[in-house]
Amino acid sequence: MIWLLIAGMGTLVFLNRYAFLEPRLPLRLGSNARQFLGFAVPGMLTAICGPIIFMPDHQLDLSLLNPYLLGSLVAIALVLLTRRVLLSMLVSMLIFFLLRSWLA
Amino acid sequence: MPQLARHAFLHGALAIVPLSLAVAPWGLLAGSMAIEANLTALQGQGLSAIVFAGAAQLVAIGMLKGGANLASILLTTLLLTSQHLLYGLSMRPVLSPLPLRWRMGLGFLLTDEFFALTSRYDQQQFNRWYALGVGLTFYVAWNLFTLVGIIVGQNIPHLDQLGLDFSIVATFVALITPLVRNLPTLVCVAVSLFTSVLFTHWHWETALVAAGLLGMGAGFVCQKLAEGRS
Repeated sequence: MIWLLIAGMGTLVFLNRYAFLEPRLPLRLGSNARQFLGFAVPGMLTAICGPIIFMPDHQLDLSLLNPYLLGSLVAIALVLLTRRVLLSMLVSMLIFFLLRSWLA
Repeated sequence: MPQLARHAFLHGALAIVPLSLAVAPWGLLAGSMAIEANLTALQGQGLSAIVFAGAAQLVAIGMLKGGANLASILLTTLLLTSQHLLYGLSMRPVLSPLPLRWRMGLGFLLTDEFFALTSRYDQQQFNRWYALGVGLTFYVAWNLFTLVGIIVGQNIPHLDQLGLDFSIVATFVALITPLVRNLPTLVCVAVSLFTSVLFTHWHWETALVAAGLLGMGAGFVCQKLAEGRS
């Protein structure tokens, strides 16, 4: 199952990368398709974060003291203030771990 | 390899060094998360060696842990890596005239970082050996960091209790936040966030894909409405 998944993912990612490098392909993405795909990164990445933040241990947690929520807000603030992705990741993770041990 | 080609290759390899180092946490994470999700070391390394797409790897591992099925992970992979279609389209003028083995080789190596470094060259300036140096160096770095992550993940006990899943959130939040520069993207993120939690709460198998598509659709509609008004 895992190897099938790896092979499938590898094939799909390669096809995405290679598709438009093929000279025999006359197709072009329409402007609507491009615009829609332009939302793939924010849309998909957000959808993955949502349940991790608001459903730790598969239980809905909408409390403001949820360390995942607080950590995410810290990360957003840091990115907006510093514009440094790596630094924001590392500092917000550190704050998350501190919060989690305090709030536990 | 003639001397000019070797020179271009080394030039490319050197140019990608800073980005290769910046990707270290991702590689470590990809390796250790694979172990945490009960993949074998070989499977964890295989993901980096065969798929070679950081976000898609981390997401697939996260979804595996959440018990998602094969089809929804593959559909998510397809959607998550669809920006590569645009990279391919953009690099079509320089890469599509190359022989098949070069097209396939450089196509395999076409990451965000590869695109950032090589897309600025036009047909006259583009050097395939330079591009190969960029791509191969990044590939080797990504796989080495994954290997370190796998070793660390195997030797540090209770890695799953360190809250490593927050590192996915921290990473993605740091990647998403700079993208939210206009109303359509904000709407996309808001719809995606709300529906992903709602659908997961409802125990939908395809919660993440459905939420992602709804968010993308909401952003797209919003953009169309804004265009129509201006």
